[in-house]
Amino acid sequence: MRAVECGACGNQVLCEKFSPAHTQVQWTDEAAEVCPRIREKVAAGELSARVRSCGELRDSIDAAVASGLLEVGGA
Amino acid sequence: MSVQPDVSPQPMSQNEEDVRVIEAAALPTRFARGWHCLGLAESFRDGKPHEIQAFGTKLVVFQGEDDGELHVLNAYCPHMGGNLAHGTVKGNAVACPFHDWRWSGNGKCAGIPYARRVPPRAKTRAWPTLERNKQLYVWNDPEGSKPTDDVTIPEIEGIHGPDAGEWSDWSWHYLRVDNSNCREIVDNVVDMAHFYYVHYAFPEYFKNVFDGHVATQYMESSPRPDIDLGTLSASGGLRSDASYYGPSYMIDKLWADVGGGLEMESVLINCHYPIDENSFMLMYGAIVKKLPGMTDEQAEQAAQATSEGLAVGFEQDVEIWKNKTRIDNPLLTEEDGPVYQLRRWYEQFYVDAADVKDEMVRRFEFEIDTTRANEAWRAEAEANIAARKAAEAQIAAGSGS
Ligand code: FES
Ligand SMILES: [Fe+2]
Repeated sequence: MRAVECGACGNQVLCEKFSPAHTQVQWTDEAAEVCPRIREKVAAGELSARVRSCGELRDSIDAAVASGLLEVGGA
Repeated sequence: MSVQPDVSPQPMSQNEEDVRVIEAAALPTRFARGWHCLGLAESFRDGKPHEIQAFGTKLVVFQGEDDGELHVLNAYCPHMGGNLAHGTVKGNAVACPFHDWRWSGNGKCAGIPYARRVPPRAKTRAWPTLERNKQLYVWNDPEGSKPTDDVTIPEIEGIHGPDAGEWSDWSWHYLRVDNSNCREIVDNVVDMAHFYYVHYAFPEYFKNVFDGHVATQYMESSPRPDIDLGTLSASGGLRSDASYYGPSYMIDKLWADVGGGLEMESVLINCHYPIDENSFMLMYGAIVKKLPGMTDEQAEQAAQATSEGLAVGFEQDVEIWKNKTRIDNPLLTEEDGPVYQLRRWYEQFYVDAADVKDEMVRRFEFEIDTTRANEAWRAEAEANIAARKAAEAQIAAGSGS
């Protein structure tokens, strides 16, 4: 797993990709506190667990793949 | 191979090194902390005490005659061990069939008709209850804590929302599963591939999110063309968004493509309570949102049909569980879901609250690449269809001659 930083909020998560379509994300802090996108939803009454993903983080993971920082099928 | 018969233990030990050995620790001796659904609330409102075998013991569920509330107590009477579930409801208390001691919903002894006074410590265990979604839930915690709001069971919109009138009532079924620990059913949350083999669907999109006490499975699937289940015509695709709220209660929101640009929305419940460490009561049910022009009866029928379709699926799961072994060290491929992380999440319910580790509750996301699996499965399904057609053609040719 590799640390990837979210371009929007600066939070770091641990990622792994077996293939372009596979993604594993391990958060190392309370997602509802560190991610502003998830925080917004929680403020609106959602459970953080019920947010499928953060779009900003997803983009940052894609960017990490594109820049070679996150290797696909590596591990 | 037979050169040195005297060293026959040699290949044996080598063999042991190469072969994957299934590991399974002893079954857990405690039961999960959390809310457990006991069934539809209405089913307990017949004025009689009900016996529930759960959490390695027996419980009694009864409705107070005056307060109308559903109560859950230990079934065995602290006096001499009578079974309250075989007693009768008297006022707001349940009366023991053995010597008529009366027990209130809060666990206190409400009276002993033949005795001059009630012993000061005459109190039995009252289990915290919750009535919601037209269902009854009981809180289990070996440490004896009270449930908090952050782990409560959410209200289902089709029951409590402003449009509740557009939804059918619950269909509801029980399936007792013996010789199996309830971890087996929870494992299903991540098990992408079994949806093809056991539930006859192509799981085309599959993602899990675990966060806090909630574990979610997002799935998009379509039915296998080579299998006719004979249930609800599921010719179109299905979107499913299913979350376990705590260890045992899953709400599954489903959108089924029923053709003509129409989507049928339903909510399935998949829940269970442990009977003991090696058996559990599985319950499932559905409500369906009425399609335009659907009558109430048609909506009830659709809910019934949906849960009958579910029944087929669950019975197939049960057949697997009954015959499989418990395995703590599953051997996984990249196409299998995150079984170990799911079990790490599940573990939070089996340790003292003070011992819940960050890693059990921290958010974790896993999206499977389903491409390769579905290519293989599509090809297999097509081959099955082709083989069947060829066999049919042969039979037709044979009978014609
Ligand atoms: S055992 Fe229940 S009243 Fe005696
Ligand atoms: Fe299953």
